[in-house]
Amino acid sequence: MEQLIVKKQTGKRRRPALVAAFYVLSTLLVAVWLMPLVIALFTSVKSMDELMGNAFMWAPPRKWIWQNFAQVWQRVGMSRYVLNTFIITVPSVLGTLFVSSLAAFALAFYQFRLNRTLLVVFIAGMLIPFQMLMIPVFRLSDLVGLRDSYQGVILFHVAFQLGFCTFFLRNFMKQIPYALMEAPRMDGASDFLIYRKVILPLSISSMAALGVLEFTWIWNDLLWSLVLLQRDILKPVTLGLANMQGEFISNYNMTAAGSIIAAAAPLLVFLVFQRFFISGLTVGAVKG
Amino acid sequence: MKRFLSLAALTLLVMGLLAACGPKTDKELIINSYMSDQAPKEAFQKLVDEFQKQNTAIKVTVNTTAHEQFKTLLGSWLASKDAPDVVTWFAGYRMQAFAAKGLLEPIDTVFPGGSFEKEFPAAFKPPASYEGKIYFMPQSWYWWAVYYNKDVFAKLKLTPAKTWDEFLALCEQVKKAKLSPIAIGAKDTWTAGGWFDYMDTAVNGGPFHQQLTMGKVSYTDAKVKETFGYIAELSKKGYFIPNATSYSWQEAAKLLFDGKAAMYLMGQFIKDVAPEDKKPVIDFFQFPYVAGRTEYAVDTPTDGFMVPVNAKHKLAAKKFMAFLATKEAQEMFCKPLGRLAANVNVPVPNADAERGLAMVKGASFAAQFYDRDAPEEMAAKGMNAIIDIMATPDKMDDILAALDKERERIYAELK
Amino acid sequence: MDRVGIIKREKVWWVPWAFLALPLLMYLIWVIGPILVSLYYSITFKDSIFYPKGVRVVWLRNFIRLATDPQFYLALKNNLIWLAFFVIVPVPLGLFIAMMFNLEYKGSRLYKTLFYLPMTLSFTVIGTIWAWIYHPDFGALNTFLRLLGFESLGSTPWIGDKRYMTYALVFVGVWRQVPYVMILYLAGLKGVPVELVEAAMIDGARWGQRFRHVVIPLLAPATVVAITISIIDSLRAFDIIYVMTNTKARAAEVLATYMYSSAFHYQDYGYGSAIAVVQFIITLGFILIYVSNVLRNELQQ
Repeated sequence: MEQLIVKKQTGKRRRPALVAAFYVLSTLLVAVWLMPLVIALFTSVKSMDELMGNAFMWAPPRKWIWQNFAQVWQRVGMSRYVLNTFIITVPSVLGTLFVSSLAAFALAFYQFRLNRTLLVVFIAGMLIPFQMLMIPVFRLSDLVGLRDSYQGVILFHVAFQLGFCTFFLRNFMKQIPYALMEAPRMDGASDFLIYRKVILPLSISSMAALGVLEFTWIWNDLLWSLVLLQRDILKPVTLGLANMQGEFISNYNMTAAGSIIAAAAPLLVFLVFQRFFISGLTVGAVKG
Repeated sequence: MKRFLSLAALTLLVMGLLAACGPKTDKELIINSYMSDQAPKEAFQKLVDEFQKQNTAIKVTVNTTAHEQFKTLLGSWLASKDAPDVVTWFAGYRMQAFAAKGLLEPIDTVFPGGSFEKEFPAAFKPPASYEGKIYFMPQSWYWWAVYYNKDVFAKLKLTPAKTWDEFLALCEQVKKAKLSPIAIGAKDTWTAGGWFDYMDTAVNGGPFHQQLTMGKVSYTDAKVKETFGYIAELSKKGYFIPNATSYSWQEAAKLLFDGKAAMYLMGQFIKDVAPEDKKPVIDFFQFPYVAGRTEYAVDTPTDGFMVPVNAKHKLAAKKFMAFLATKEAQEMFCKPLGRLAANVNVPVPNADAERGLAMVKGASFAAQFYDRDAPEEMAAKGMNAIIDIMATPDKMDDILAALDKERERIYAELK
Repeated sequence: MDRVGIIKREKVWWVPWAFLALPLLMYLIWVIGPILVSLYYSITFKDSIFYPKGVRVVWLRNFIRLATDPQFYLALKNNLIWLAFFVIVPVPLGLFIAMMFNLEYKGSRLYKTLFYLPMTLSFTVIGTIWAWIYHPDFGALNTFLRLLGFESLGSTPWIGDKRYMTYALVFVGVWRQVPYVMILYLAGLKGVPVELVEAAMIDGARWGQRFRHVVIPLLAPATVVAITISIIDSLRAFDIIYVMTNTKARAAEVLATYMYSSAFHYQDYGYGSAIAVVQFIITLGFILIYVSNVLRNELQQ
């Protein structure tokens, strides 16, 4: 039983009380949830003197020093860090999405003996606390000579994310009915063609959601960049932010400003890709 | 398509390998530093630039990593086959532990003909050496003292204490005025380490404390209990700020700046975070004498550099170390930061430092710091124990007994 | 007849393997390999993995020490608290919020975007700010409580007192996890008719059945991912605790922080790896139970 889902004009069903309830509840929810972020903003525009002079560290600033952002961008070198992070994140996300879709396709649509075992293997890789893998990964990269390079980090991220991505995509792919593959196969299409022309297009929404999550995750990654990169000119935003922490002294305002700048990219990606995975004008086939 | 992919992956791999196997010349110098604070970072860069000018054939790269992350990776870097050539670190046990494992390169050749003793204080040699060889190049150091708010003292008509009794009286006065006598940011456990070092050396003397940090004295020893007794007394009388464990050291410092707390046993860098208008209000005095002692010890945590044994450009590294040892280089770095240079020929940067130096020179014993003299695990657990005793002074005996069991295990494993 | 796509092709058995070749190879080298190495480290002594002279193997000694380590059991207990809250709260809440924001009112896109923001900020900043919120004397939370008249409650040291520490931290964890789950459900809801969702939210009683029997199954892939990830993230929790507390033996210790302290602060990589191995086995246990349940249900369909 399949349905075509089309956006309907549901205007007449909107009761004003419910509309009001929606807005009140949503606004309240967002306001409360975002409180810490507002404090982050406050912190980013304060001077260190103000931060160190007032015990209420979360209070609104007396003076709004927007130059902090300029200072973080130029003096601290955020611009370079942001560039590096793009260089690392974009290929990693594309790479892992693509490679994991291959594995997900295999696990979702083929019945073979090791299918379930492999799924568990992919999941198992997600279970171990990352910190414990720091040294083995460091030594592996050292051995292979991939330490301290963009390629090394990208390769690592692509491989490392395969567990979650395969698991995620396989689950969503399982919802696609076999019937959609029957026809092309009858026509003699190769499995790879089916993968490319049928399954991938149908997985756009889940891949978009996954892409946004992966982008956010890899963009915010501190640990692996730390382990795999040594030269300052290669370092991403997260390491740049971490470096604003001195041995004893915390530059709260700079770190907050830097974090906000760093948060801009995942936010942008979210805005651009959300229409792919958020329901709106959708025409798609769904299991009834 | 699949074939193309595998080819692409293979190409990437090969590219990576090729990139790593570039021509290795001894014309390079890679320095890994933890000086991530803006001011030291810039001062160090100037130093490196000067070295670069004098040695145009060597290409110098400085890689900066924040302190916490640096500590995490140092072991891996030292053991790596692509180790950096110079790394920043501190003197004391923490450095000697690496030397003991054979991960460091001795730098005696950097100090020809007894020049270490000529240029650096005698007290710096032991924490910079291991089994007779020098492995550490000292650069700067600072002192710890009891920092106090002059305005608060003036208002309550107090003067800095010289003896413990005076100190207690001082605290009582402050408490009566509804202020906190002693600020401490116990969320950063090393603040307790400072208290332990100063209290123990004041009660039992420097050499005893050294035996303790070397694991030769039990934490349940009567003398150690005496030390903790003094700290516990402060706690029982309510002289520490309430909720100390919720404050990072920097947040607790604010209480001192605002005049909500009177004193803070802290390192010299506390002035670096004071707001401009509060800087002149903060001053320091020497930790009080206890029980009629006339000698005192100080903590002088020393920062500097070491050369990994796996470094690829040892000649360049040693050249750099020799450069760092010179009076000019040391002054170049320490002067703008107001720090004390290890090289004794460097003039003192400011009046505060002069007093600090005098204080240190008058001491009969100098330690690095609890967490630099003792193995890290011991120090970590020790500092937690101190904070626990501060919070629940009645449980002192149990806490110390548990701590001592840890001590036995930790030092046994070191053999 | 299969309703779910299963391709049985005995003759061309190598097809799935062709697809799996690249991902599996990469995964084995970069993930499984290091995990196995980690397992090996757990039977070594302290930091002998760095000794130029060679590694010292001590077999099960680290594990024996772990079995009688009270800090380990404390960490385990805390992880179970994290697990309970992470599964119970973010999943239904994330679903509810996703459904609500999915209603096509003007501005719902803005709400979704704003709600996603907590995920974009680094843990360091989040931790610092929540510490300022939780501070007993000057924190936002207590100031607010005192304003409302709750004097004693408004003096609680939320992350200073061992009774409340873990819960305060779990709250921050949940705060960050809910947007994450929301995104998962937003993706899942894309295939669900809007009217169904609307109706379910408006007429609870009458549509309850319909909701349970139609909408929930449609959300199955998102739910499975959400629950699996919540289980994993709760047992793997590290950053929040690390940033907001002193990790060297605190009341809020969890397995990941204890492992990190042991390895990187105490220079005992052997012990740290042993903790990691135990944590891995525990998580694997939970996951296997949950996932095999799910897989069994899949087969039934």
